[in-house]
Amino acid sequence: MKVHSVMTRPANRVPGFRAATLVAAAVVLVAGCATAGPGATPSDPPASEPAPGVSPSPAPQTVAPPGGTIRLYSTVTQATVDAIVEGYQAVNPNVTIDLFRAPTGEVAARIAAELREGGVRADLFWLTDPLSIQQYDQDGLLAAYAPPEAASLDPADQGATFWATRHLNMVMVGAADLSPAVTDWGDLTDPALKDAVALPDPGFAGSAFGLLGAFAQDPAYGLEFYQRLKDNGAIIVKSPDEVTTGVAEGRFKAGITLDFSVRSAIAKGSPVRLIWPTSGAVTMYSPIAMLQASDNAAAAKSFIDFVLSGDGQAIIAASGWEPARADVAGGPPIDGSQVRPDWTAAFREQADLLAGYRAIFGE
Amino acid sequence: MGVAGRDRSAGSGRVPGRALGMLVTSAAFAALVAYPLARLTGTLGDLGPEAITRALAGAGGRAVLTSIGLGVVVAVLVVVIGTTTALIGERASSRGRWLVRAGMVGPLFVPPFVAALGWAAAYGPRGLTDRWLGISLPGTYGLPGVITVLTVEAVPLAYLIVAAALAGRAEPDLERAARASGATSLDALRTVTLPLLRRPILGSGVLAFIMTLNAFGVPAVLGIPGGVSTITTRLYQDLAFSADPASFDRAVVLALILVAIAFVTVTASDRLLGGHSSPRTAVTSSGPATPGRRSTVAVAAVMVGVIATAAVPFVALILVALTRAVGLPPTPENWTLANFAEVLDPRILGALARSVGLALAAATIVTVLGGIVVAVGRRAGRVLGGVASIGFAVPGSTLALAVLIGYGGALRDTLLIILIVYLGKFWALGHRPIAGSVDRLPNDLLRAARASGARPRDVFRSIVLPLLRPAIIGAWLIVFLFGLHEVTMSSLLYGPGTDTLAVVTLNVQQLGDPTITAALAVALGLVVGVGAIPVLLVRRAIDRPPGRE
Repeated sequence: MKVHSVMTRPANRVPGFRAATLVAAAVVLVAGCATAGPGATPSDPPASEPAPGVSPSPAPQTVAPPGGTIRLYSTVTQATVDAIVEGYQAVNPNVTIDLFRAPTGEVAARIAAELREGGVRADLFWLTDPLSIQQYDQDGLLAAYAPPEAASLDPADQGATFWATRHLNMVMVGAADLSPAVTDWGDLTDPALKDAVALPDPGFAGSAFGLLGAFAQDPAYGLEFYQRLKDNGAIIVKSPDEVTTGVAEGRFKAGITLDFSVRSAIAKGSPVRLIWPTSGAVTMYSPIAMLQASDNAAAAKSFIDFVLSGDGQAIIAASGWEPARADVAGGPPIDGSQVRPDWTAAFREQADLLAGYRAIFGE
Repeated sequence: MGVAGRDRSAGSGRVPGRALGMLVTSAAFAALVAYPLARLTGTLGDLGPEAITRALAGAGGRAVLTSIGLGVVVAVLVVVIGTTTALIGERASSRGRWLVRAGMVGPLFVPPFVAALGWAAAYGPRGLTDRWLGISLPGTYGLPGVITVLTVEAVPLAYLIVAAALAGRAEPDLERAARASGATSLDALRTVTLPLLRRPILGSGVLAFIMTLNAFGVPAVLGIPGGVSTITTRLYQDLAFSADPASFDRAVVLALILVAIAFVTVTASDRLLGGHSSPRTAVTSSGPATPGRRSTVAVAAVMVGVIATAAVPFVALILVALTRAVGLPPTPENWTLANFAEVLDPRILGALARSVGLALAAATIVTVLGGIVVAVGRRAGRVLGGVASIGFAVPGSTLALAVLIGYGGALRDTLLIILIVYLGKFWALGHRPIAGSVDRLPNDLLRAARASGARPRDVFRSIVLPLLRPAIIGAWLIVFLFGLHEVTMSSLLYGPGTDTLAVVTLNVQQLGDPTITAALAVALGLVVGVGAIPVLLVRRAIDRPPGRE
């Protein structure tokens, strides 16, 4: 109900809009050509009726199976999303998934633009960091739900509207022949590494944003740590992968990145090594949530259920990430201790985070 | 005068054809360009004038200054290098001239951001020359790199403009006369040749400035990692990577500043260059001045330049694409086809199909729109040409944001919204060759046919259409090529399932995977290269004037 009003609002709001659209359509028709190339997607997901009476029960064979289309906005690695979507569709062949996958900054920009235009068009968010999702929750975008598998998750890894799907470990990467020993975060401010340390951009990558929140909250580091990195000539690149490849190429000697990224590079043969900080990797959870405005809640819920299920978690582990559920085996080795910040507390202080960071590293 | 349109309307009273043509064209202009730009301007109106001050404080203002500065520097470099190359090429032996022409036209078909990636792979830190010779160009990721690659991209156009003028106007006879009268070759160049080339030289400088102002691919690849933002890349980052409402406001302001700079530059240069034309001298049939040994050396230098700026980067890119992992030397023991296998991923093939489909649709519709000029006659056609040029003059980033604001509510995330910007932007590319060809239609032939009793429809089918065919095919192919590698506008407009191959490549590049990026860029370069072959063949057919060669 709410969705429909949201979706049609732009056309009504703008006077003359409909006429202009008709003119555009007329032009295209007069030109006598197909309006769009192959693979055109419908502008809006078809408004399918949610299957009535679907309860959050893990036994989908007893009720009408979900169908229709769900639109998923995700920041998760492409291969991982693909594997999950494939696994989900094997069980739910009637659900079509419209995926928009991009880095956190780009997904955030899209969500903001859609809000400006009348409403978010996604049914599901599957993000990288625990801070962004709390913001969307606070903005009232997310829908409450009780996934049957939520009990298997760490209580610190969930809220009323979002749930952890995997764990990300922020670690360090060093050149294979890195000469000054780097063992903990603080070593990155060693003058021997002047102008040779790369950091991912918190405005671009969710994992970098999460890391910023974690450091800011830790009295041993604080935003002051970023200032010291800056003073040592640390360079901001976009993604954790760019940090890893920059170190592999020799543009940098060391940097902060995801363990997943370093392991992938090492597996291919890149001359880098993984440095697990002695004080512990910063570990964050990657949340999934469904939107209030979803017009296919049944399918959205079934997707969340699948990601949190044993099968879904096994797929996540097989794709190289640490599963969120401790009772699911597999995933990468954990080479040291893990620091799990209080993400709820970190979120309360997040308003000034990016501003504080930008004051140090500029725009 | 009024070619087919006038003849047809006079012959059978079919004025509706002309009226319909004007109607369709006006409606297309209103829908594709005017309405979106009005909405963009209206958005600024809603934000209020203080939004401009806010947007220009800090990063926004720096981006504007960077863009203007870059434009000036690149324009000067392009004019100097392009003119020199044209003088060398047009004054060389016929083989030398052919070499220089081929060397200059070839790079025109390398998509700019593929060229940027190639440049970094060849001369950047840990690039080809760094690895094998220990030499890398400082500042590849930064202003020096952006300037270099933008210059390399624009030099061929300046060359074409100046060389065409040299071939037609500044005849060697005048130079010879000057030399015979005792002027040194430098004096002859300074006092005879260059003054005669004033208009094409200034014109190519303005073109290079506008190209640089509108450039997105090169500053995105080489500027963003080096902390250099131009108006276009700042706008892209504000629109695509920021949820902050202030970023959107700044994008609107920057888009309007961009279009304002472009229009002021074009208008000013029209005033400056349009007023007094340089004296036209009769075209003589004499060949070029006898080329000496210095000319051979100069041609060789040009060819070395072409190889270094176009061939080496593409080879470097292929080597990166073949390398198993980042950081390994690109030697045979590290080669793999795995990166190219990624290109065959269904998602990427889908993006390729969308690129091709969009380019096909844009090329076809634009050719039809351009063909309307045939129906409305030459005089009205000139007005249409002016109208179509407006869309082309609007920078891609501005047009994309305007269309997003204008149609985003209903069409966001559809291929149609991308097609709309392609049509608005590329319309002039389709119009110009066809209009030019219509202008050159031999009136005698048309009159003779009419006098011999041919009906207008027969005249159209048996004379007009065959004569226009090369221009129509040429127009179609040029738009098709531009559509294939377009990234400035599509990167702002794509959504779930509507990304094109160029957008995928840009996104992979931004994520920081050089090997896959290189494989994608090579694929993109090859797709465009294959598309360029017919263009070169058709160009030759158009360029060859009857009765020469």
